[in-house]
Amino acid sequence: MEKAGWDGFEIGAMLRTFDGAIQNIATTLPEDRAYSQSSSFTASVADWRIEKPLFNKDYCIDCQFCWIYCPDMSIIARDKKMVGIDFDHCKGCGICVEVCPTNPKSLLMFPEQKDEDMALAEWPKKEKKEKDTEVEED
Amino acid sequence: MADTMELRDIEVWDGNMAASHALRQVQVDVVAAYPITPSTPIVENYAGFAANAYVDGEFVMTESEHGAMSCCIGASAAGGRVATATSSQGFALMVETLYSASGMRLPIILNVVNRAIGAPLNVNGDHSDMYMGRDSGWIQLDAYNPQHAYDLNFIAFKVAEDHDVRLPAMVHQDGFMTSHTAQGVHTMTDEQGFNFVGEFKPMNDMLDLDHPVTHGVQTEEDWHFEHKARQQHALMTAVIPKIEAAFDAFEALTGRRYNLVETHQMDDAEMAVICMGTSVETAMEVVNELRANGIKAGVVGIRVFRPWPMEQLAAVLKDVKAIGTLDRSSPHGTMGMLFNEISGSLFNTDTKAVLTNYIYGLGGRDLTKAHLVGIFNDLKANMDAGKPTTPLQQYIGLRGPKLSFF
Amino acid sequence: MMSEIKKIKNLKEFSTSADRFEGANLLCPGCAHSIIVREVLNATNDDLILAASTGCLEVCTAVYPYTSWDASWIHIGFENGSSAVAGAEAMYKALKTKGRLKQPERTPKFVAFGGDGATYDIGFQWISGCFERGHNMMYVCLDNEVYANTGGQRSSSTPIGASATTTPAGSISYGEKKNKKDMMAIMAAHGAPYVAQVSPSKWKDMVAKIQKGFAAEGPVFINAISACTTEWKFAPEDTIAITDLATDSLVFPLYEIINGTELNITYRPKNIVPVRDYLGAQGRFKHLFTKQYEYLIDEWQTRVDLKWEQLQRREEARV
Repeated sequence: MEKAGWDGFEIGAMLRTFDGAIQNIATTLPEDRAYSQSSSFTASVADWRIEKPLFNKDYCIDCQFCWIYCPDMSIIARDKKMVGIDFDHCKGCGICVEVCPTNPKSLLMFPEQKDEDMALAEWPKKEKKEKDTEVEED
Repeated sequence: MADTMELRDIEVWDGNMAASHALRQVQVDVVAAYPITPSTPIVENYAGFAANAYVDGEFVMTESEHGAMSCCIGASAAGGRVATATSSQGFALMVETLYSASGMRLPIILNVVNRAIGAPLNVNGDHSDMYMGRDSGWIQLDAYNPQHAYDLNFIAFKVAEDHDVRLPAMVHQDGFMTSHTAQGVHTMTDEQGFNFVGEFKPMNDMLDLDHPVTHGVQTEEDWHFEHKARQQHALMTAVIPKIEAAFDAFEALTGRRYNLVETHQMDDAEMAVICMGTSVETAMEVVNELRANGIKAGVVGIRVFRPWPMEQLAAVLKDVKAIGTLDRSSPHGTMGMLFNEISGSLFNTDTKAVLTNYIYGLGGRDLTKAHLVGIFNDLKANMDAGKPTTPLQQYIGLRGPKLSFF
Repeated sequence: MMSEIKKIKNLKEFSTSADRFEGANLLCPGCAHSIIVREVLNATNDDLILAASTGCLEVCTAVYPYTSWDASWIHIGFENGSSAVAGAEAMYKALKTKGRLKQPERTPKFVAFGGDGATYDIGFQWISGCFERGHNMMYVCLDNEVYANTGGQRSSSTPIGASATTTPAGSISYGEKKNKKDMMAIMAAHGAPYVAQVSPSKWKDMVAKIQKGFAAEGPVFINAISACTTEWKFAPEDTIAITDLATDSLVFPLYEIINGTELNITYRPKNIVPVRDYLGAQGRFKHLFTKQYEYLIDEWQTRVDLKWEQLQRREEARV
């Protein structure tokens, strides 16, 4: 956002999240919201990341552990399905990978510059464990 | 709907009662308060109104003055008319939040019943708390008697809530001398009083659920300066014209005239004292007596303390030859506030008046007519000599050896 | 008018929520504050009026010219997030009485967030005042047991043996000397209708408690454990694992107190983890794993066992 002069913004350092009126915000998905330039939704923290999570749809069971535990609203879930990662807001903490219960994991951390197709091609195979991780039914 | 109260044209009210009725008549939406002497009766009176259906807003008795102003800020940001009252130590406890209220541009009205600040602890009137507030970004209006305490509340709401202003305002009155001294107060009807201020018009209100707002952000070196400059700009340019317009409208309604700077016998005055609060009326009486003896003395009273009416003061003091500034607050290491502010107001003008400073009345010590006669004697000598004949800062009404500085 | 409670049967259903807290805030990667805030806000579809006391959450989510909040939000100072939202709630009531609400058919929920510094220490008086007065509000403490925002100074929530910058471990000191203040008991003693301790890692337990809190009339206190990757010194991806260790070792037991008297334990770990495992996973307790200070680990275990005993006795006795 442009650094306005002293007469170029609203009084009291007040910020508005949206342009215009918004109703039913709790049931309106981000893509349907008119965020103002003051909402941090319009900003990016992509440059915080050293590593990024990549998502392999083939192994995902849509348990939504990654969605609930993501601190940065960066797991995009639509219609109860995990559909991808919001790389503008993901800080690369890796929680999603840690909480992913599948074998192999459906989310893994890769260097920021890693090509996604290559990563998918190199995805590890199912690990033999004494007992497969049981997914708690929620 | 709150019940209407039938008032006599003139009620015998002390300053606290006068302020309470003003809050009742403008139908404040949220009063969050914590009682402290000598402003306690404002809160008690208001509680009585609430208990008897004369107000239908929320009345929140908090756990401290800091909590009271914090609630006021939350309530004001939510979007409605908000007021409270305090004094002294309570005012001091509020100070952090006073800066928040003005920085967030929330039009809260605070009745400050002026009282000394300890240590040593003291419950009586001086101007220490009023002076403490002077950098907090609030509008500050000063009442000299219960009538003013009533009237200035209406002025305060009208100006503060104006969307071109949106700044909080304090209405000051002297502890006990005004707050607990009953006088005849000309009233407005409930309808007149309310209509003078009008319905509250929300702005950036949190309770407008369709337009979420964020209040109280962080700004660092890349933004803070601009925001504080914007606040100063409003205080310096928007407020004075709005106060003058409100004074005019109030005069049209009630016949009572208020001015940014109040003057008494200043048209041809050769010397003047400048003071605030109840001392203004004492000085007026002394000046009337001096005038009877042919002495051209006058009084200047500060009505609008913040924003400081610099140009108006310079105009009023243009032709005087000696000025005594009377400060009712310990200056603690410098000259009194009025001395410094008046110096600054006159420094780049052609006025060459001899300027001296008197510290008086701390902790509620009386300012007597004899004290004022003595001050005018000093001013006369200064005027005749064309230079100070006394130390620049003198303590008056003090026991022990004479105390003065510079 | 009571608003409907949002139906959250399972995590899939919960994942259809539209967050009202935005990314590109400045919280550390892996910060639990954000996970807690999401679970609180997503527990309802009602409108929200929010406040925050000064602290990590506040300084990271409203740095001009950006806000991360999709509901009205206010911050005043370190000590008064509670009073800020209480003031807004009072204005809501006043405008409701006077018929001046812009959307009179909607019933917003009032929530204040504060860290443990703002809750246990500097804001304690304000919170107590709000609870005594009975405002219809929820106060959520993001308890990371340290002044994290300012670089890791101890608070009265910092547990014994933790090394904080103002109680550093050294050659003659094992760090913090005082036991963590029992904020749950204190808030329950206010007679609040609902007081609960929650963990974002046990989302179902937490969301159920938040919904109970929203349904209650009067002030509700929620103490949420917020594992701090920066000050507890663990890797950011381990936030949920560390939080699970806290609940499963019973260092941070999950329970609720209704009307100041009825205590219910809401989570009983299938396998109770030794306290040693919880302590060993964090850098702030590293010095306890030396000959000099090792005795403190046993003391810790004894203290946790006693507390668990006491909670169970209270639950059984319904007091």
